[in-house]
Amino acid sequence: MRHAKAVLTLLILVAAITALCAQPEKAEREKVIIGVIGPMAVPEGQAEEKAVKLAVEEINAQGGILGYKVEVVVGDTKLDSNTATSEFRRLATVENADVIIGGFSSGVMTAMMETMAETKTLFLADASSPSHAQKVEQNYEKYKYWFRVSQNNGSTFALDLADMVKFLRDSGYEVKKVYVIRDEHVWTDPVIEALKPLLEEMGVKIVKDVKIPRGYSEYEQLILEAENLNADLIMPILAISGTGDILVKQWATLKPNLLLAGHDLSAIDAEFYEKTNGMANYEIFIADGGALVTAPPTEKCREFVEAYKAKYGHYPESHQAYGAYDAVYLYKMVVEMAAENGEKDPFDPDVLVKYLERFNASNPVQLTRTIAFYDNHDLMWGDEYVRNWISQWQDGKQYIIYPPSVANGELKLPPWIQK
Amino acid sequence: MIETLIKIFLFGAVVGGIWGLVASGFSLIFGVSRILNFAHGAAFVSSAFLAYALVNEGYSLYFAVLAGLMLAAVIGVVVYALTKPVREREVMVIIVTLAFALLVQQILLILFGDRGVSVEPFVKGVAEIGGVKVTHMRLLSFVLAIICLTALEVFITKTNLGKKVMATSQDSRAAMMVGIDIEKMFLLVMVLSSLLAGFAGILYAQIFAVNSEVSLRALIYAFAIVILGGLGSLRGSIAASFIVGYILVITITLLGARWSEFVMLLTIVAILVVKPTGLFGVEE
Repeated sequence: MRHAKAVLTLLILVAAITALCAQPEKAEREKVIIGVIGPMAVPEGQAEEKAVKLAVEEINAQGGILGYKVEVVVGDTKLDSNTATSEFRRLATVENADVIIGGFSSGVMTAMMETMAETKTLFLADASSPSHAQKVEQNYEKYKYWFRVSQNNGSTFALDLADMVKFLRDSGYEVKKVYVIRDEHVWTDPVIEALKPLLEEMGVKIVKDVKIPRGYSEYEQLILEAENLNADLIMPILAISGTGDILVKQWATLKPNLLLAGHDLSAIDAEFYEKTNGMANYEIFIADGGALVTAPPTEKCREFVEAYKAKYGHYPESHQAYGAYDAVYLYKMVVEMAAENGEKDPFDPDVLVKYLERFNASNPVQLTRTIAFYDNHDLMWGDEYVRNWISQWQDGKQYIIYPPSVANGELKLPPWIQK
Repeated sequence: MIETLIKIFLFGAVVGGIWGLVASGFSLIFGVSRILNFAHGAAFVSSAFLAYALVNEGYSLYFAVLAGLMLAAVIGVVVYALTKPVREREVMVIIVTLAFALLVQQILLILFGDRGVSVEPFVKGVAEIGGVKVTHMRLLSFVLAIICLTALEVFITKTNLGKKVMATSQDSRAAMMVGIDIEKMFLLVMVLSSLLAGFAGILYAQIFAVNSEVSLRALIYAFAIVILGGLGSLRGSIAASFIVGYILVITITLLGARWSEFVMLLTIVAILVVKPTGLFGVEE
């Protein structure tokens, strides 16, 4: 009798194990998990998290991805490489995220790419350093899971700034001398190195190149100096200083006979005009990330910013929101494409890389922006894809003024300019 | 050349005047109650943020400024209440005031985000002095700072209440023995200092802009200036504020913006090596 019981128990165990092993892959999966990672104490990370959650809410309302409900797990980099890699690993291995979205800040991104390669996790990423895409170029098998979705490679800033000068000249505002004010930070060095020859080709001279530390506020002296040097425009290249608002305020107060036109990250903020008491009027800036609240380049972008406002009570606080939102839909698209093509596991990152690579110059996908990838998985730059649109604050609204294919406004010169 | 000198004179004076308001209060608190108030920067930024918010809500600028100053005074009272039980333990005072400052910074971050905000200036327009353009608001700030600092000096040295503050500063036990309510003096100084910092913050936000991080910057400047002037020396702090203002402006003009804070801090270290008690400090 005892033997019979033992045999019966053994049989049940074997049957149970066999049954478990025989479960098809699809039945094991109960949901799709999307990880979002970023610095959650600052607007960039917060915007990424909110945008991903909004996209997931919309997708779940439409039945999820291949019928699976989508869940979001969040990691906080705290803008620290060690924390970021730990959090990435947690999302990938403990939370079992199928894809991770976000990042922000190039140094942190570089560190996370190693964890990504180790865990073989698909990473639809933010940050702008050219070195990230170079890694994919140099060691494709290791880093192929990385795709830059949020914004263009930082080296394209020089192209945008040169185009800005060309556009101003074509619009009748003569630019011969430029006074540069830029962050005392490693990110601006390649920009200025690439920009100098482009300006020289146009016969434009940089009369002074001033580096400023983080938190710098004494711009009035620099503005007066630029005017004394007969500069035609002050070109800020500012993201880290955090004081672009002070620059625009002092420029609008002193009303020098020169334009303020360049890359000022703070000017992208939809509330910038209000926060500067309207002093931002006439500032020309480039819309990092390829989208603006008041000038959405696609219909989906228009719907997104309104849905974002309806859900959170305000417009996206950072351009990272567009990239994060697009990344969720991009992931859904490639999983569905893989399933349609009969892939054995349509969630396999190695499979999905191939489907993401199909979005190239001749086959872009239109989401909040028009997205395509280069061979090194960098986001494609150009008028027909994503670029930092040349934009201007005019009477409380942001307008794209160049290129004509997306422009919704025209250049307006400040009334105090006499040229 | 003359233009450069005028520019240095004007810009240095304004920067010095604003930091003078911040540092004099910081110095006064240390002189009277021996407290290193790490929450001093909280009053500086909070007043400006409140003034900004109220102006945006449609209130008049002067009402908004008044409300900002009231908030600064309340912060002074809160810091007084928080530090009273731990006043004898210097490390605890630093921890408590620093924790409060970080709490205020986080609240501002949540309410206003990390971008800067500007307060509408009292006066608009630009003047030209010796060929140098300078905004009316800068000139007014300098005048207001000088009025406040002079009033503070007169209050401390000429009025009965001010003399009680000075007596408490020199020897609080002796002051208590002659019947001075030193707790009232501590509270008065804390509120007065916070008001000065709050007013400086509003002027700063009218010329520049404030964000939550500026509170730490204001604290570092106040600390550096007070040490340079001599801990507890009111006149030393005011003189040091102008020295720092001029170092900053001269460096920007002659060496470049990137070196401004580096040269300022290097000069302070050099002066302290030669005179460890600061310019106007005395050895205890």
